[in-house]
Amino acid sequence: MFGLIGHLTSLEHAQSVAKELGYPEYADQGLEFWCMAPPQIVDTITVTSLTGQIIQGKYVESCFLPEMLASHRFKAATRKIINAMTHAQKHGINITALGGFSSIIFEKFNLQQIKQIRNVTLELKRFTTGNTHTAYIICRQVEQASQQMGIDLSQATVAICGATGDIGSAVCRWLDARTDVAELLLVARDQERLQDLQTDLGRGKILSLDQALPLADIVVWVASMPKGVEIDSTTLKHPCLMIDGGYPKNLATQIQHPGVSVLNGGIVEHSLDIDWRIMHIVNMNIPSRQLFACFAESMLLEFEQWYTNFSWGRNQITLENMDKIGQVSVKHGFQPLLL
Amino acid sequence: MPQLEASPEIDFHSETYRDAYSRINGIVIEGEQEAHDNYIQLTELLPQHKDELLRLSKMEGRHKKGFEACGRNLKVTPDLDFARNFFAQLHHNFQSAAAENQVVPCLLIQSLIIECFAIAAYNIYIPVADDFARKITEGVVKDEYTHLNFGEEWLKAHFAEAKADLEAANRQNLPIVWRMLNHVAADAHTLGMEKEALVEDFMIQYGEALSNIGFTTRDIMRMSAYGLSAA
Repeated sequence: MFGLIGHLTSLEHAQSVAKELGYPEYADQGLEFWCMAPPQIVDTITVTSLTGQIIQGKYVESCFLPEMLASHRFKAATRKIINAMTHAQKHGINITALGGFSSIIFEKFNLQQIKQIRNVTLELKRFTTGNTHTAYIICRQVEQASQQMGIDLSQATVAICGATGDIGSAVCRWLDARTDVAELLLVARDQERLQDLQTDLGRGKILSLDQALPLADIVVWVASMPKGVEIDSTTLKHPCLMIDGGYPKNLATQIQHPGVSVLNGGIVEHSLDIDWRIMHIVNMNIPSRQLFACFAESMLLEFEQWYTNFSWGRNQITLENMDKIGQVSVKHGFQPLLL
Repeated sequence: MPQLEASPEIDFHSETYRDAYSRINGIVIEGEQEAHDNYIQLTELLPQHKDELLRLSKMEGRHKKGFEACGRNLKVTPDLDFARNFFAQLHHNFQSAAAENQVVPCLLIQSLIIECFAIAAYNIYIPVADDFARKITEGVVKDEYTHLNFGEEWLKAHFAEAKADLEAANRQNLPIVWRMLNHVAADAHTLGMEKEALVEDFMIQYGEALSNIGFTTRDIMRMSAYGLSAA
């Protein structure tokens, strides 16, 4: 049994989903209520591999909302994640992916120090951030979508926004080692981490977002932000490929410029339909087939019975593990979403 | 991203702490006393479970003594008048149901609501308790899970015929719990216990119990949040 821990993108989104699913007790409530709401298993999932293997899973709604971070409700935010993990473990789930902000909160607030939750001892090997698969899929999206747009990577400048994060740094390492990309632009808030990353890579220019955007042929967005940023598309190169891997989206603007293509980053398409409701809720274009790559990682670990926290901690993602998860991703029928 | 603020050091012997503790300690002692009495009263409604119920009742009596020792340790006199008022409405509802031989509301009040409330409160209290009280409370909370289990098992076995009564009893009693929580939120805060966390832990425990009994996730989300927003 695999599990997915997820959350909705805003209070407004949460209210509309609760209304749609027929939970009026939750639909009419403000942030205060969501700060007290317990985790719930709201979907059961059956996934069939290309190999014919069938697995079962459960979706755990943590009731976390990004507004909890924006309004400094940190205790509530951390409770949501810990309680959702405990809920997953109590329900006997072997391997659970921490979607969206869940893994970021776990890491930033040092939640591994909390081992005992009520009468449950958390077993961290039952959880994965899913970031290795997400990073792998984003790299494949860079390679394949750039081809679709006629952008030659050997001539291209790629900006990574959120470069020092777990996914961002893995994307940088892969693009450096596995592609002939001409130039990497490293964008992030923490200057010290940026310097460390640049030293590790032995390349890459550290720039601010405003400096980097007009220079980039491809922009990879993997920053963790409760709200998206506004972009003036006239300042971008044309053509420009924007791969938005944020959840909620890093881009607040609906870019409608003929020279700019925006691709949802870190999303995979499965070759066969998946029986579930949750991807309708997060507004995937083809909800029966498209899903977050981090969620797919827990499915892959279940298919392969690799019951271990395959992705864990910060900046631990290796190229070898990206290859390994990439191979089983293809084997079981997942493909990167393309333009 | 900013870090969680460190919990401020608690002075267990300050006037403010001991004043708040007198009411919370009173509630816990009175709660264990009522539980003790309720389980004895339940033997009349469920004579075939008499031995088990008397065993649970005795445990509640021991818990009461443990919490009295916690109060003495901090040189606090428990405010039992406050505590009896605090439980008055739940007490009244239990007595009314018992007088009419209605087992289901009695079990919902004692075995589910009060036990879940106790488990939530004790679990939230343990990390912020003084050393003496922490040890006592850790022992107590383990027992409370077995008490919850008694009610769960009985209601699970009688789920089909008890379902409607459980829902009605939930509607009648859960709003009282939220009012009780609000009534002690400030004192609990003084002891380092946040209302938000208490509500969440209660809903988790209560939701688990309802799930074990046989309710669906949809029922649980509706029932466990009943009346919360109005409180």
